[in-house]
Amino acid sequence: MPECVLGIESTAHTFSASVVSSRGEILSNVKSVYKPPSGSGIHPFNASRGHLAAGPGVVMQSLGDAGVEPGGLAAVCYSMGPGLGPCLRIGAVVARTLAASLGVPLVPVNHAIGHIELGCLLTKCSDPLVLLVSGGHSMVIAYAGRRWRILGESLDLTLGQLLDQFGRAAGLASPCGRGIEQAASRSSRFISLPYTVKGNDVAYSGLLTSAKKLLERGVEFEDAAYSLQETAFAMIVEVAERALAFTGKKEVMAVGGVAANQRLAEMMKIMSRRHTASLRVVPIEYSGDCGAQIAWTGYLAYRSGVSVPVASSSVKQSWRLDTVDIPWRN
Amino acid sequence: MTYLGGISLPNAELIYRGAEADVYTGPWCGRKAVFKFRKKLPYRLEVLDRAIRSQRTLHEADMIHRVKKVGVNSPSLYFVDPSDSLLVMEFVRGTRMKDLVSSLPQGSSAPLFTELGRMVARLHSSGIMHGDLTTSNVIVEGEKLVMIDFGLSITTARLEDQAVDLRLIKETLTGAHSDLARGALDALFAGYEDVVGERRVCSVLRQLRDIERRGRYARVD
Repeated sequence: MPECVLGIESTAHTFSASVVSSRGEILSNVKSVYKPPSGSGIHPFNASRGHLAAGPGVVMQSLGDAGVEPGGLAAVCYSMGPGLGPCLRIGAVVARTLAASLGVPLVPVNHAIGHIELGCLLTKCSDPLVLLVSGGHSMVIAYAGRRWRILGESLDLTLGQLLDQFGRAAGLASPCGRGIEQAASRSSRFISLPYTVKGNDVAYSGLLTSAKKLLERGVEFEDAAYSLQETAFAMIVEVAERALAFTGKKEVMAVGGVAANQRLAEMMKIMSRRHTASLRVVPIEYSGDCGAQIAWTGYLAYRSGVSVPVASSSVKQSWRLDTVDIPWRN
Repeated sequence: MTYLGGISLPNAELIYRGAEADVYTGPWCGRKAVFKFRKKLPYRLEVLDRAIRSQRTLHEADMIHRVKKVGVNSPSLYFVDPSDSLLVMEFVRGTRMKDLVSSLPQGSSAPLFTELGRMVARLHSSGIMHGDLTTSNVIVEGEKLVMIDFGLSITTARLEDQAVDLRLIKETLTGAHSDLARGALDALFAGYEDVVGERRVCSVLRQLRDIERRGRYARVD
């Protein structure tokens, strides 16, 4: 019987628990997603109440689905950050309680690194250029010298925030990515919007303001959505391309909630091919927030001896991924 | 035969496939020249793509010319064609600083970084931000450093923009030469200080820290 660990994710709207084995098998991945009312974003306190109510059931079901007894866990892993404080604390409390009562190591995991490492497991990438695009991150990342390094990023809003705030202005309910993608696919009328690339970074706030103004001016939602997507994606793909040319990586991996967008994947694919690199997109079930990203990365950390005493364990709302040492990679 | 937009070049040879441009060498009026061709980026919508390429081509030509006046080496321009997004310029003999630095023994690249710091400071003092400051965009020709790729450069006197410039090279160094980043950066900032003085370098570095603190999920110390 291989070793199994439990991972608990609760950085934002999703409370999720997953059991993975040392062989990299995802034995379970149970999620409960808080849905804000239409027109508004995630309210951290309300989301955390949702997590509190759903938490125990999600954990029990993930153990049940995996067919693993609590006593069979080698470690309990949790997302220590970055994320929304009230939400993070629920996951941390559940994880501490389990680790303390089972007497197994408690392993803190950086949520963003969780996305990357689970992505590598599932896409079989060994040394990719990573495009991490979600509500929390818009970054181009590559591994060098014991850390995942940020080669380019959004200086203000993330792609997920850009899409959600635009979608909510048009009356959609968060998350709005899917609705915007569908609307955009019905248009081919491009309206010029601010295209802001600074060095290897992008900025989206001016684009958001201008796109919202299109709606106020009575431009069709489809046309505004199309123009917004084309502009925003072209910007991040441009900086990803520059990072790819600079690093010369042969694998490109797209991960995070926004990686599910087909148009973005298409643009990334065309771009990667130009540099004879292959694009791999993390399957939709695992590209958004989930317990498996915490369980698998937690297992890698646990195997390298990373753990934290329950008494001094905490959460970190701000925790940049390039400050985390990665002992499990060369 | 190589076709760059509407121009055909008999003996062109691809020397670098960059992110937004392909770079060829070939003869131009009897000299060895570099052809920088901003290729169509097929993932970008055509109307958006064409506007960006032609604007950056014209702008780069302007900047290549302008930096010379402030004492920063850049290639001589031979020909500009914005509709085909093509620049023809002098072929600079030398090695890309990125490759050179990786091949040098650790610590011996400091003088290069100091000189680079001086160049960047000269640009900044004259109100120019390079916009894509990486070790790929500097060619070392003997003792001389030649700066290339001004497609993202802007005219600006803002402290913020100057700090953004330095932040990119800092990111690049920690990303590509992580083992020697600290020493290289110290050397670079020393060269920068030579030109602008201690007070200015302190304010730029303070601004740089400010920008890093604004970074997503950065710890606010």
